[in-house]
Amino acid sequence: MVSAAESATLFQIAVEGVGLGALYALVAMGFALIYKVTGVLNFAQGQIALVGAYLIVLLGTGEAIDWLQVSAPVAVAAAVVVGIVLGILLERVVFRPFIGEPVLSVIIVTLALGGIFSGFVNFLFGQNFKGYPDALVLDWSVGLPLGASIPGSYAIAVLLSLVIVAALMLFFRYTVTGSILRAAASDEQAAMVLGVSIERTIAVAWALSITITTVGGMLLAMSSGGASVSIEDTGIIILAAVVFGGLDSIPGAFVGAIVVGLLRELGSYYFEGGTAIVAPVVDVQLNFGPGFGNILPLILLLVVIVVKPYGLFGTERIERL
Amino acid sequence: MTASETTETATREEPDRPVVELDNVEIVYDRHFLAVQGISMAVDEGDIVALLGPNGAGKSTVLKMISGIGRTERGEVTRGSVVYDGEDVTNDGANEMVDRGVTHILEGRRVFEDLTVEENLRCGLYRGGRRVRFDEDDYRIAFEYFPQLEEILDLKAGYASGGQQQMLVVARALIHRPRLLLLDEPSLGLAPKLVRDIFETLVEINREENITMMIADQNAKRTLETADYGYVMENGQVELHDPADVLVDREEIKEFYLGTSGDSSQYTDIRHYKIRKRWT
Repeated sequence: MVSAAESATLFQIAVEGVGLGALYALVAMGFALIYKVTGVLNFAQGQIALVGAYLIVLLGTGEAIDWLQVSAPVAVAAAVVVGIVLGILLERVVFRPFIGEPVLSVIIVTLALGGIFSGFVNFLFGQNFKGYPDALVLDWSVGLPLGASIPGSYAIAVLLSLVIVAALMLFFRYTVTGSILRAAASDEQAAMVLGVSIERTIAVAWALSITITTVGGMLLAMSSGGASVSIEDTGIIILAAVVFGGLDSIPGAFVGAIVVGLLRELGSYYFEGGTAIVAPVVDVQLNFGPGFGNILPLILLLVVIVVKPYGLFGTERIERL
Repeated sequence: MTASETTETATREEPDRPVVELDNVEIVYDRHFLAVQGISMAVDEGDIVALLGPNGAGKSTVLKMISGIGRTERGEVTRGSVVYDGEDVTNDGANEMVDRGVTHILEGRRVFEDLTVEENLRCGLYRGGRRVRFDEDDYRIAFEYFPQLEEILDLKAGYASGGQQQMLVVARALIHRPRLLLLDEPSLGLAPKLVRDIFETLVEINREENITMMIADQNAKRTLETADYGYVMENGQVELHDPADVLVDREEIKEFYLGTSGDSSQYTDIRHYKIRKRWT
């Protein structure tokens, strides 16, 4: 039997899992958006989140360049603007020459971009943890039934990711621009001869994606009180989420990220010491560390690729015979 | 045939200024592959012009360089000029040509498979990356010629039949209200009855909407019946060109494209002939 206390603990862990998942969801949706519109797997996704996290350090604390310091709300707004500008800039400078070239070239380019971004962050801030300005260190939390509570940054992430997933779904389904983005994704040339500007679709996609991702990076940093280089690892973790959800599906990325967040939290808690879940089933003393939470999502990734290659919500290619 | 000769013979003596005129155009892919060598063509306002010839003759390449989409495949006009409506448009991009009223229907019924029929039509409302107009009226021209589409608006285009997909790509282009419509293999892989329907509709559109057309197709008989003028291409050159009714009666065409017995119209049936040798 599961006692009341145990189920309360389970609920609390699950709540934190959902919160963490919502943070991942922002980064994962940024990834899925790019894949959906341009067919590119963006391997710089973790590094873009990292840049987002450190933008606040740069602008909010005056670390590295002290005359840049502005108040915390302005720093957040500025970071969002930088995200949009970065998206447009990347299209102009980096991606435009690759229009019409194999997608693989662009994927390799994202690898290089990732290296440049993380190298740049390292160059400016070093490897150490950098605290956020006080106004952005959230010490409040929202109380929930069963004595559980959700920390402020998680609560914001849950709300924000819900708003963004809904907004993006409506955008792609009901607006003409959304149709155009999907059309360009489905057949670039056929869209071009209809007068669709591929340059503009790429710029819109990257600007949207980078903005969402930098906000995700910021909130990830806020949830631990400041930016650290480990945010970069999110790029790998969200791969599990988007593959689970179906690479080109934005709601899929959202659901996948929540599942991955849950797996991480539950895995870290219940596998610590290795007894809680495994012991009643098998009579073996296993000694997993808390790091097992990091392994579970990647096991999920492998299983999904084998069992359901298009993920939960991914588009299966229509083959007519 | 030398380049200068081609220019001379291909210039047609018509009082109207042609909608599009190719003057001694040479097209090179990837800087090395010579796809089209020194061709000249003129398409008059309101005409349907047929481009005939075997696979690899350069028909698609010509259309792609007019619509500008060839640029994305590393194609380039390296010699000669493409003039549209009196304006030099050599090597202009697809967006610019769409803005000038040129719409290209690519080979192979390129519908947006994941989008519904209605969403596919919606994409015809764009010019230069911007939406131009958007109301029910815009679709009227599409439904006028292809009433079937109105019944399958919510169907995913990928699941539509081949005939419906061909209707959809033509309808999508019509919403553009183009001045010049380029069609690449509109009959490919369709049943004979559908082919007839498509060509009949194209003629109607041409007459009623005053849309000039260039049609590249393997179905030489049907295309020539539809067209006002025809060019026969081979190995990247124009081998023959004449008004369609004259071309139909030419011996070379009868023998190699239409078949002397009269019942075979597909070039593919008689591919083994060495056409060039007979003509020179």
